[in-house]
Amino acid sequence: MSTLTIYQKEAWYDLISVWRTPGFVLPALTFPVVFYLFFGVLFSPSGAAGHAAYMLVTYSCFGIMGPAMFNFAMNIASDRAQGWLTLKRLSPMPVSAYLLAKMITSLVFALLIIVLLFSIAATVGEVRLYHSQWLSLALIMLLGTLPFALIGLLLGLTLTDKAAPGVVNLLYLPMAFLSGLWLPIHLLPQFLQQLAWLWPSYHLSQLGLKLLARDQGYPLELHLLILVLTTAVLTILSLLIFRRFAGVK
Amino acid sequence: MKQAKTLLQLKKLTKRFADKTVLNNIDLTVTQGEILAILGPNGAGKTTLISAMLGLTAADSGDIYLLGQLQQGTGRSSALRAQLGVMLQIGSLSANLTVAEQCDLFASYYPAGYSAPELVTLAGLNTEAGQRFGRLSGGQKQRLLFALALAGKPDLLFLDEPTLGMDVEARRKLWQRIDQLRQQGTSIVLTTHYLEEAEQLADRIMVLHQGKFIASGSPGELKALTRYKLVQCCSALNDAALLALPGVLQLSRQQDVVTLHSSHVEQTVLALLSRDNTVSQLEVRQVALEQAFLQLTASSAEHSNTLGEQAA
Repeated sequence: MSTLTIYQKEAWYDLISVWRTPGFVLPALTFPVVFYLFFGVLFSPSGAAGHAAYMLVTYSCFGIMGPAMFNFAMNIASDRAQGWLTLKRLSPMPVSAYLLAKMITSLVFALLIIVLLFSIAATVGEVRLYHSQWLSLALIMLLGTLPFALIGLLLGLTLTDKAAPGVVNLLYLPMAFLSGLWLPIHLLPQFLQQLAWLWPSYHLSQLGLKLLARDQGYPLELHLLILVLTTAVLTILSLLIFRRFAGVK
Repeated sequence: MKQAKTLLQLKKLTKRFADKTVLNNIDLTVTQGEILAILGPNGAGKTTLISAMLGLTAADSGDIYLLGQLQQGTGRSSALRAQLGVMLQIGSLSANLTVAEQCDLFASYYPAGYSAPELVTLAGLNTEAGQRFGRLSGGQKQRLLFALALAGKPDLLFLDEPTLGMDVEARRKLWQRIDQLRQQGTSIVLTTHYLEEAEQLADRIMVLHQGKFIASGSPGELKALTRYKLVQCCSALNDAALLALPGVLQLSRQQDVVTLHSSHVEQTVLALLSRDNTVSQLEVRQVALEQAFLQLTASSAEHSNTLGEQAA
């Protein structure tokens, strides 16, 4: 058996294991769908043309953030607490297989959410986009899971398994609101709009909204740069902590 | 004669937490095919010692050689990890994966090891192969963890309190498995706080107390050290008469209560009662293992002191 087999099995079993956790799967899939149906499609503010398309972008962003942060934070914290991670570290499994498996699981869930939301948008929501727009939006959101996965990794490495779910919620929900994912960002008070610059979810949603020309009008490069920098900083931080914690060579 | 290969060697290993020295100048060697039991009460430093050997925590000073290679700090190379097997005290697998799935996953980590079905059989969980880890009983979980520790057909196996929480029968079965491994030439380091377990399994026992080895030897040698019991009573006999009783090795007195250390407790008591019919508050006690070893090391130190004085 080759190293590739380890990566495949690790990814497959991580996905199965997560899939068998209803407490994770149900909220991850239903919350974005139900929220989008209610606040994006059914209760569209009167006369706001393109509301469903606008909210499709923000709820896609909301949808992909959750599984990435929760999967990494909660499962790594509990793998640590139960000694599962220690056993794996002592086996010859490359640690990258473990992290990559979690990333793939997050991507699979992100893809599921995107497919669900896009289907609702295209049918009930009557959102009409070019093929290239659908495709670009999906790609942006899939790539966009990375910074959130890293935030989850950082939390998973530093928090206990009991604290992790609460802390992720404490970060996830306000971050979604303050990034304009529930209410369009321009409806928020001025100082909250400025605060939004802190969150990767704001920049990710602005990238998506740019496709529909519904963003706040800041340069594309600026959002991209901030996202890349945030991701880089989070990567370095996670690597440092992971090295110190795991001591894997 | 060919010298046996050394698989594990520790030289002056020391580890401190804050101002407490958890491991104090530990020296240890394990050769091919040998089973070493590290025996000690809870908090003696057994788990810290295993963690330091495996590179889960860094020692403050001293050298660790695993399979002949000097190790630095935390972490062990993947090539080395492929030749080690580990069963830790807290080792829980993903609760959502079945026995067969866990075995499939672990088998993939070790290209030269057992196949997944072989691991299921090793764990003796063929009928439970489709059950999720979370639904297994405590003993079944331990068996699976033990099988996974063997997944790579390791040269050197670490077992940290392997029978903790097992019932008598499960413990006996695991002992049989460990004995089979010895016959196949696997070297094993196991920690335990059961003297009986160390006696059953080990070629050599090292007694760890407060981060130091206070005694070591073959099971027979160590057992002899703990064979004596304590006889406590109020007696009219004087010290010389009490020391003359059969089996009595040592005597200590606190006001009226005298404590005798006896290697043959039945004969001691019999003689005591026949020579003194006023004996009251008679009590026979087992010496606690730790206490026995401590007294033993203390008395051996005294012994060598007196010898030294005589020589001088």
